[in-house]
Order: sequence, then structure tokens, then C-alpha cells
Amino acid sequence: MSDHAADDTVPEVDESRRKFLIAATAGTGAVGAILTAVPFVASWKPSESARAAGLPTEVDLSKLEPGQMATVFWRKKQVYVVRRTPEMLASLGGHDGELKDAPSEESEQPEYTKNPARALRPDVFVAIGTCTHLGCLPKTRFTPGDATLSADWPGGFFCPCHGSKFDLAGRVFQGSPASVNLVIPPYSFDGENRLIVGVDPAQQGAA
Amino acid sequence: MSAVIDQANKGGFRAWLNKRLPVDQFIEDQLTGYYAPKNFNIWYFFGSLALLVFVMQIVTGIFVTMHFKPGEATAWDSVQYMVREVPYMWLIQPMHAVGASFFFIVVYLHMARAMLYGSYKAPRELLWIIGMVIYLALMAEAFMGYVLPNGNMSYWGAQVIINLFGTIPGIGEALVEWIRGDYGIGDATLTRFFSLHVIAVPFLLALLIALHLVALRQTGSNNPDGIEIKERLGGDGKPVDGIPFHPYYTLKDIVGVGLFLTLFAIVVFFVPTFGGLFMEAPNFEPANPSSTPEHIAPVWYFTPYYAILRAVPDQKIGALLMALSIAAFLFLPWLDRAKNKSIRYRGWASKILLGTFFVTFLVLMWLGLKPADGIYVLLARIFTALYFAFFILLFFVSKADGNGPVPDRVTYHAH
Amino acid sequence: MPTKFTTVFGVFALLIGAGVVHASEGGHAGWEREAGNQVTNIASLQRGARNFMAYCSGCHSLRFIRYSRVAADLKITDELRDQYLVKPGAKFTDYIHSSMPPADAAEWFGKAPPDLSLVARSRSPDWIFNFLTTFYADPSNRQTGVNNLALPGTAMPHVLANLQGVNNATWTNEEHEGPGGNAVATKAFAKFEPGVSGSMTAEQYDIFVRDTVNFLDYVGDPTQVERQGLGIWVVLFLLMFTGIAYMLKTEYWKDVH
Repeated sequence: MSDHAADDTVPEVDESRRKFLIAATAGTGAVGAILTAVPFVASWKPSESARAAGLPTEVDLSKLEPGQMATVFWRKKQVYVVRRTPEMLASLGGHDGELKDAPSEESEQPEYTKNPARALRPDVFVAIGTCTHLGCLPKTRFTPGDATLSADWPGGFFCPCHGSKFDLAGRVFQGSPASVNLVIPPYSFDGENRLIVGVDPAQQGAA
Repeated sequence: MSAVIDQANKGGFRAWLNKRLPVDQFIEDQLTGYYAPKNFNIWYFFGSLALLVFVMQIVTGIFVTMHFKPGEATAWDSVQYMVREVPYMWLIQPMHAVGASFFFIVVYLHMARAMLYGSYKAPRELLWIIGMVIYLALMAEAFMGYVLPNGNMSYWGAQVIINLFGTIPGIGEALVEWIRGDYGIGDATLTRFFSLHVIAVPFLLALLIALHLVALRQTGSNNPDGIEIKERLGGDGKPVDGIPFHPYYTLKDIVGVGLFLTLFAIVVFFVPTFGGLFMEAPNFEPANPSSTPEHIAPVWYFTPYYAILRAVPDQKIGALLMALSIAAFLFLPWLDRAKNKSIRYRGWASKILLGTFFVTFLVLMWLGLKPADGIYVLLARIFTALYFAFFILLFFVSKADGNGPVPDRVTYHAH
Repeated sequence: MPTKFTTVFGVFALLIGAGVVHASEGGHAGWEREAGNQVTNIASLQRGARNFMAYCSGCHSLRFIRYSRVAADLKITDELRDQYLVKPGAKFTDYIHSSMPPADAAEWFGKAPPDLSLVARSRSPDWIFNFLTTFYADPSNRQTGVNNLALPGTAMPHVLANLQGVNNATWTNEEHEGPGGNAVATKAFAKFEPGVSGSMTAEQYDIFVRDTVNFLDYVGDPTQVERQGLGIWVVLFLLMFTGIAYMLKTEYWKDVH
């Protein structure tokens, strides 16, 4: 049966071996736990249908009158598309001092829109219609000298939530709670009247 | 006791914590100071494994619920969408489905342990009864979970099982309609099953499991020799045949977990349908009220009772026998009149009786998967008779057979 | 101690083995064959995808999988995808729908041709293989002129007749005891005789069907190869963890006498 007599020759407890084995087990277990968490965490990434729906959005520009704005959805975000008139383009100069980031150093835009007009083609302005402060939809205030703003308002966007102001190239004015210019998504043109939001000009042709 | 206070006085975060929550006291009471018999064998892994599977089902279930859309119009499609289009759900959803089967494998082995070593006998009758209530809740949970995807077997299986309630005299018909919430299995049934399966029954299961553990703590564990270790205390007031749960059984259980997860992973990654036993082929078709699958069979863990149901040509009597076959377990603490708990210290009659019961249960399980024709009908009747014979004979055999001497100390071989 | 352990572990391993054997059970009737497809064979899957789109997608949809998914998994280039897979008018990210409106199909065939996304799981690749290879001429069927051994009385015409041709079936007469105890005469299938010939030999047709079945096997469970690949690492890791945990447990249990 079992050995119940008091044992005088109890073997020495090998503490260092125990410490090592505890560390090895705990370490392997921790690695296993983290690896197990990966599929669960990854399951929150956008699904295949989200990515399919996030495909480029095509816009027909033939109906867009000068001075008008169209809104489309791309990757669940509102995109503003404005047909800028020559007057609107002219209004872009002359108030660099009132802007927080006139050369668009801090803001997010594709390389090919890093120019004074912040556009691939000056007459079509494309931007994500989300205020860079806390995410509301900025409203259009295209009329210069708009009564609700000020006499020297050059025209642009005004966010009703906390009062951020942007010019007609989406550049943010001093005094706005927002700190960066409106984000510009990748986009390109296919012919004169077809705008494709979500595809750079270099990538055109590849699906 | 003073060791606990010394720790607290060591200062730092530990002391701060212990002034506000009885952490060290808990560790002392439930882990390092709780003595369990030292002769636990392989049958003693399945309690902690059951808890592990419960946690696994909750976690995988939480993630499956993020994508599952309950209801007649959306359920089926949402499952296909999730396993094909949501990252890694091709792994997590089968873990949930396979986990259900593993839950029952573990629970049946856990129950077998109790029957082998008399763990349902006094003073552990209530522990056993709480366990049986957990088993019933688990069966309801698994049944509803299986119906939710609204596959063809979900639909027809639900049809059969819910119709069983119609056999209850008087209230039967009204009860069936009340359960379904409609004249047939449909949207109403699916959405209420969703709520019960996701919130109500898991909550109930969690409470019951906690109660089960409290009841266990109260009496202490039984052991393969069936002797009460608390009857022999050493100089330190601790049972001489006991060892602290921590570190000995925490470490041993971790090995059990590792082995279990290895087997679980083999199934999930390589044979998740397990030959159609864990995920039945007809359920890869959407529910079709005009087309019954060739063989309606519940999932394997219900088939012993299904075999008993079909053994009798009368629907009402069959349903009654099926209910009795599950309820019979509740009476084991009183049917078993032996003095000795463990099968080790009972005679050959008891050993043959119990062995025959285990084989009967497995044979009935196999029969329930087969169609109800030919030789299978006769076999189902024979084994149903054997099943009930066990409980009746136990009453007499246990009185005669389990009264011999038991050892003073547990049988332990170093390992 | 070791014997009990091996017993229970062995029983469990046996049960798993039984499950695997049960899974691979087949060939009950004499004419039943195994598909013999391999989902790791990408070339076969590619051919199967092309076959399906060319011959099956007119009536049968695969509504749970997208063209883009098939192209990505099967390593089909964008050009080939658009040429051989994507139907006119569909976007490459669309789910694969059939050309025939289900309502019309139900009217013409008596039953809408089912979606085949999961047929490889609800039936089996072997069953589909047998279904597509056991059509035979049956003049008693006035609509399609054919019948089928795997699915007797099927409403589906022999769509692949110009490939396989149409075989004739020969039968043997059998007698066995019916329910009343009297002799009942039944026909049992003997073998196929070549009838009208098609453009493919029997071997070529088998390959054609095997590829198509392979594709359906993939569609039924698109991640099966990835799952098994990951599984090897997971099982190895768990075995390693169990080994280390066992050493830790044994070390501490030296204290117990």
C-alpha cells in the first residue's frame, strides 16, 4: 500500500528547478494566451463585405454646375465634390496669414493634391466632408461676405458644431477648434466627366 | 493565519488590496489551505475541464453573437456570411459548435466518475442534484443553440422535441403552441430561443455552477477509495490523506487542460464535423418545412434518450419513459443503499451492474443515431429495459453488496 | 495509474478514430465511386471554377461566395477572372448568382435548381461525383429523357451530355421477400453500356467532373486548407505546453508521498 511512515530521507527541494519550470510554464502559457487572442481581436477588422462595399465610388460630373457641390459616400464617409468657379479659385489666395496651415504640411492629402488649390484638377475640389475637430459635417458657406460670418469671408465651409471654418480648399482658419485642414481622399479622373474616389491616378486601370 | 497577516504587513500594493478585498484570505481558504484527497486519478480532471469548456463557450459565443442575426429570414445567411467574410470566424464559429460536443463528453465522464466512486452519496446528495440541474440546463442550452442557425436539422429537430411536450395530458397542445409562439416553428421561436440561449440560460448556468462549487467546498471532495479524509486529521488539523489544492491540483489540472486542448484542437482544425456527429450534414441546408431529412437524429449527446423515446411504439409512453430515464439519475443518492461509496469496495455484482449500465448508455447512444427499423428496434427495447433495470437492481444489489471493510487510508502511488 | 490513464486516453483516441473512419465511409452500392479530389490542387480548382461558371452557373447559384474571393484563393489573375468567371453585368465583388430567375426555374423544372454553396457539405464530394457521372437514358422521363442512379427521379437534365454522352443502364432482375412474405421482383443496376457518345472519353470526363467537384468542395469550406495548416502549429504548440506543464507538475508532486 502507501508509505505512511515518517520519511527521514526527504529529498531536497530543488528550488531553482521549480522556479525555472514555473517560468517556462507561465511563459509558454502567456504566449499561448496572446496567440489565442489574435483571432478574436482580428475578427473585428472590416469583413470581406465591408471591403467590397469600400470599393471606389464613381461620380458623374457632367451634371455638376459651377459653384455647386455634390456629396457621395466612400468607405462609409461623406465626400464633398465641388465644381469651383474661377472666382472661387481666385479667393484662395490672399488670406494665407489667417490660416493655420496654408501650405498643408500637417494635413492628410495625396501627394498630387499638395498644391495651392489642393486638387488634382483645380476646377474640381474633392475632400472628406468631416470636420477635423470632432467629426461633424461642415456646412457650405460658399458666398463671399456671407452675412452669418463676416464681411471679409472669402467663401468656404463652416462647421455648426463648434464653429470651425475652412476655405474653399478645405484649409482651416485661425480661431477654429479644428487644427488641421480637411482630409483629401485618393481620387482620379477617367475622362473629362468621371471622378473615381478611392483610386490614385497612378493606380488607374488596376481594379 | 499569521502568514496572511505578515503578507499584508509587507506593505505595498498587496497590503492596499487586502485591506479592501479578502484576496489573501480567499487564496488561503480556497487554494493553499483547502485540502483535497491526494489519490485523485484521471477521472478527477473533468470537473475543472467542464469549467474550462463553459468559459470557452461563453467567449466564443460572445463573438459568434456579434455576427449572428437571429430570426427566420436572417439566421441561416448570417452564419454563412460570418464564416466566409468576417476575419477568423471560420475558426471561432466551429470552436463554438465543436465546444458544445466536448462539453457533453466532459460532463458525461464527470458524471461517470460520480457513479464509479459514489460521489452522489451522503453528504453530497445536494451536490449531485445541483449537478443534475446543471445537466438539464445544459441540455436545454445545447438544444436551443442547435436550433438557432435554422438549418434543416435545426428545424426538424425542434419540431420533434417541441412536439414531445404535446404528450403531456391536458395542457400538451397549448403548451406546445406557447413554447413555439406560433402555429409552427418560425421567427417567434427562433428569436426567443436566441434570448434564452445567449443570456438567460448562461446566466442560470453560471449561478448553478457557483452553487455547485460552494456545495463541493462545504463537504470537501470524495475520492476513488470513497473514504472521508476529514475523519483522519493530523497534528496540524489537516487531513493526513489530503494535500493543499494549490499547488498540487492547480498544477495537475493545468496538465489536464493542456491535453484536453490538444485533443480539442485536433478536432476543431482537422475534423470539425467529426464525421457528421458534431455538425450534422442535413444542417448544411437551410430549414425546409416541406422536406424532412432522411434520418432525423438529434446530436449524439441526446441520442441515448432518443433511443429510449423511440423504443416504445406509443408516443405518450415513450415520452414519459424518456423523461423518467433522465429523472432517474436524481434518485441515485437514495437508490444506492451501500455503506461503501466506491466501486472499489463493492462486490462483483455491483461492478457488473455498473459496467453494464455504462455499456448500455453507450449502446443506446449508438442506437439513437441509427434509423428505427429492422434489428435496431429490438435492440433499443432490450437496452431500454437494461437501462431501467440498473436503477431498480441497484436498490437491492447495493444493500447486499457494498458493506465490506474499507481501508483506513487512501490508496496512493507516487507519480 | 499509467494503465488507467492509457485506458481512458486510448478510449478517447479510439472514439476519434471511429469518427474519422465513419467520416470516410463510402461505397455502399457497387456503382458508387470516390471523387478522389484534392482541395490542395490549385490547378484542378481553377479548372473546376471555369467548368462551373461555364456549365452550371446558368441555373445554379453560389450565393455565399464572391468572384473576388474565388479569384484570390485560387490565384486567378484579374484578366482571367473577368474573362472566365464574372458574368456580364456583374461586378467582380458580387456574390455568384445564377442566370436563371428562380421563379422561372421552378416553373420550367418543377423545382428551383438549388444553390450549391454548401452541397459538398450537406451531401459530399463523392455524392456529387456520382451524381454527375451516373446519368443514363430513360425514355420514360418525358421531360429530360434521363434518370440518375445517385438521385433517382431527378428533375435536372443531363447538362453535360455533350461531354459525357448518354449511357444506357442495364439491369438484372432480383427477387426477394417483401413485407407480406410474398416474392417481390426488383431491378438491380448491373452496369453502364455506352450509348450516345460525347466529346470526352470516360477518363477525360471523370477528370472534368473531379475538378468541378473539387471546386464545390472548396466553395463549401473555403478555409479548410488554411485551417489545417494552422492546426499543425497549434497542436504542436499545445503538445509542447503540455509537456512543460507536466514537468512542472511532476516536480511539485515529488513532495507528495
